[in-house]
Amino acid sequence: MSLENLILLTGRTINQGVALEGGKTTKENVRAAGICAIDKDDFKKLDSIVGTPVKITTDFGEVVVYSTISEEGPHPGIIFIPMGPWANQLVNPDSQSCGTPTYKGMKAKLEIIQTGKVLDALELIKTLKEA
Amino acid sequence: MVEKKINTVYDVVCPFCGTLCDDLEVDVNIKENLVVEVRNACQIGTKKFFSSNPSPHRYEKPLIKDNGTFKEVSWDEAIDIAADILAKSKRPLLYGFASTECEAQSKGVELAETLGGILDNTASVCHGPTLLAEQDVGVPTSTLGEYKNRADLIIFWGSNPVHAHPRHLGRYSQFVRGYFRKDGRNDRFIIVVDPRNTHTAQIADLHIQVNPNEDYELMNGIRAMLRGVELDAKMISGIPIEKIKELIKILKECKYGVIFFGMGLTQSLAHHRNIDTAICLTRELNDYTKFLITPMRGHYNITGANTVFTWNTGYGYSIDFSRGYPRYNPGEFSSVDLLMRDEIDASLIVASDPASNFPAASVKNLFKHPLISVEPHHTPTSENADIILPAAFAGIECEGTAYRMDHVPIRLRKVKDAPGECLTDREILEKLILKVKEKLGE
Amino acid sequence: MPEIKLKLKKQPDFPLEADVISPDNLAGKSTAEIKNLELYVANEKTTIGEFFSVSGKSGDAKELKIIIDGNLSKVKRIGEKMTDGEIIINGNVGMHVGNQMSGGKILVNGNADDWAGAMLKGGELEITGDAGNYVGAAYRGFWKGMGNGVIRVKGKVGHEALTWADGSVVAKRFPTLYCGSAGSFLGMHGHGATIVVEGDVDRCAGADQVKGTIVIKGKVSRLLPSYKKIGEVKEIDLFNGEKITGKFIEYSGDHSVKKNHNVIDKKTNKVKISVNGRLYIAA
Repeated sequence: MSLENLILLTGRTINQGVALEGGKTTKENVRAAGICAIDKDDFKKLDSIVGTPVKITTDFGEVVVYSTISEEGPHPGIIFIPMGPWANQLVNPDSQSCGTPTYKGMKAKLEIIQTGKVLDALELIKTLKEA
Repeated sequence: MVEKKINTVYDVVCPFCGTLCDDLEVDVNIKENLVVEVRNACQIGTKKFFSSNPSPHRYEKPLIKDNGTFKEVSWDEAIDIAADILAKSKRPLLYGFASTECEAQSKGVELAETLGGILDNTASVCHGPTLLAEQDVGVPTSTLGEYKNRADLIIFWGSNPVHAHPRHLGRYSQFVRGYFRKDGRNDRFIIVVDPRNTHTAQIADLHIQVNPNEDYELMNGIRAMLRGVELDAKMISGIPIEKIKELIKILKECKYGVIFFGMGLTQSLAHHRNIDTAICLTRELNDYTKFLITPMRGHYNITGANTVFTWNTGYGYSIDFSRGYPRYNPGEFSSVDLLMRDEIDASLIVASDPASNFPAASVKNLFKHPLISVEPHHTPTSENADIILPAAFAGIECEGTAYRMDHVPIRLRKVKDAPGECLTDREILEKLILKVKEKLGE
Repeated sequence: MPEIKLKLKKQPDFPLEADVISPDNLAGKSTAEIKNLELYVANEKTTIGEFFSVSGKSGDAKELKIIIDGNLSKVKRIGEKMTDGEIIINGNVGMHVGNQMSGGKILVNGNADDWAGAMLKGGELEITGDAGNYVGAAYRGFWKGMGNGVIRVKGKVGHEALTWADGSVVAKRFPTLYCGSAGSFLGMHGHGATIVVEGDVDRCAGADQVKGTIVIKGKVSRLLPSYKKIGEVKEIDLFNGEKITGKFIEYSGDHSVKKNHNVIDKKTNKVKISVNGRLYIAA
């Protein structure tokens, strides 16, 4: 199953804030920031259970994260990933020459994957070093 | 007499977000030098104090990467190698500084000037557009205490303080009782403008669910309607015109309004243009009532970083010293754009984690060049660095000054000593400056 | 006619700042002297001779023609503050080409990066390819941007072209941009700009425009709500005396700007708003 033509937003959540102060390399950080909050009605269309890994794709990259139902809905057509290494695989690095990249409002596609693993922060960033 | 084991430090300043709460109480076990209890802080602030205790996530000795693994070295050796990398580089990037105290920041300016490098702070990826807009159209603003005592209309535009500034609502903007707002929450009207029904929106009186990336059009429409113009459109950014008329009535009729805005405006498309029009809207609302605007700054001392850089160089961020004098141009000298064009050859990251917070494509280019990390914690940046210089937590393990989001300077307190061989950011930068000057023959 | 030829010998590792390359600085100098002029790369000083081969004969700035060959996409600030003469660049060029020039002509046979012709005070800048963001824009914090002169871009200009343009009909200053297509926030905070776009424009053209004329022969992805439709026109008079014919819809704006005047009509007692900015979009 997949959802297309979504808009991806990123931002701070309190869990992500607690996790990053508690240690960015911990599993707690994965649980806090390696997630994607999906609107309740959109989630029903996916026909899956909470916590299923999903692959999010934008024009700028792709990443596998855990799916959750958004507590801050309804926001049909919008998905939310807390700020952090996972979200940053997907964001638009173009700043329109003002210095600040466009972290919010990318077109995105979401699909449930059968194989694939949610990487932790270090593993994820390491892929950038090797590349 | 029984020996005192626990020492309580009062009025501690929380070094997490720009709200800079100054009423914390921290219990410290003096003998073992541990934080054992934190009162009054939010969840994140509490965690920050506890994470300063020695743990597997904390660096205690300088480390140097040798064949893929870190090995412990002495401070002299680490500083020597770090200074060597910096002195030999032609276009070093000095980035971070938002989560440290002002004295260390001014040392950062000195180091960047000595090296002829590029100096940037984390405003470059968060509230940089705010600074650009303020330079273009000015800003009508005030301190948070003023809002607490007087504001009866609070607007959070693209900001979610329940998550990002947890105690802001209780201390300054929503629930708190003020001199002229004796009934606290009941005396205030709260409006949230956000594409999502955020937790802040859920406790607000009015939620305007604007389409993502269309804030500019909405504010532009409001400004025109405020002047009495009948617009052609029936719907602006997903909001029906009738609802906007209602909103304008509320804006005009309040006694003292304030707009708090966050990343929702600065990091979405239109960037500084959003802030530009938000400031113009605030200015124009002053024809009818008192209105002010304040950015919700993220890191606790990012306002300090902008202030310190400004009184040292004239500019708040994205400063290039390559020609011997400071020049400023976000987009040209800002970290992400420099990295995207691959224009640096070494980097010194102070108290920040760009590997987690920059877009992936730019992180790839950051890792291509030697990376020195001044950092107390294990982070994706430090783990991929070539040299790690362990720092003490400013505001927990050393004193210093920090600026609150409304430009009020507050003295940070020291509650305990740093573990291991950790030095403060200021001491580390001072050592680097001395060594670099020696190597450059100055 | 005096002519200097520069050819890029090697690509610099870091951006090369070549603000010294302008007819004013090269006038009356021998090739040996020109080779010794200073350039900056990263935090080091270098010379023109290090990066360019120099030939030709120099002369008076007024008649001097500088021809530069090579891929100059890492060379910044060519023609900065030039007042006279001509520069022809065969290849792509880096940021700030022709910024703050007040006279003369620059021709770029290729693409230009950001800030091309920023705060132009006069003269002519022509780019045959695309240009980056902030073409002819005001530098950060300046309230008066491009004051006079013409920028012609065959291809696309990026975001925020010609911000804070500062024209004046009385003083006969007409900052003008002709381009193929444009990004968002075209002519933002304009005070008397003339912009003619052959193709399409991204969102928010003419945001906060106080006065000025923007002609778009294609489409706008999202028109600002504060622009009001006036009617259809068949001919448009530009400030510089040119006429454009074709079927256009005329809009007035930006109605959100406070600097436009609110007048109360004495007969009807209603607010009459006079706005001098005009936006024309092809019908």
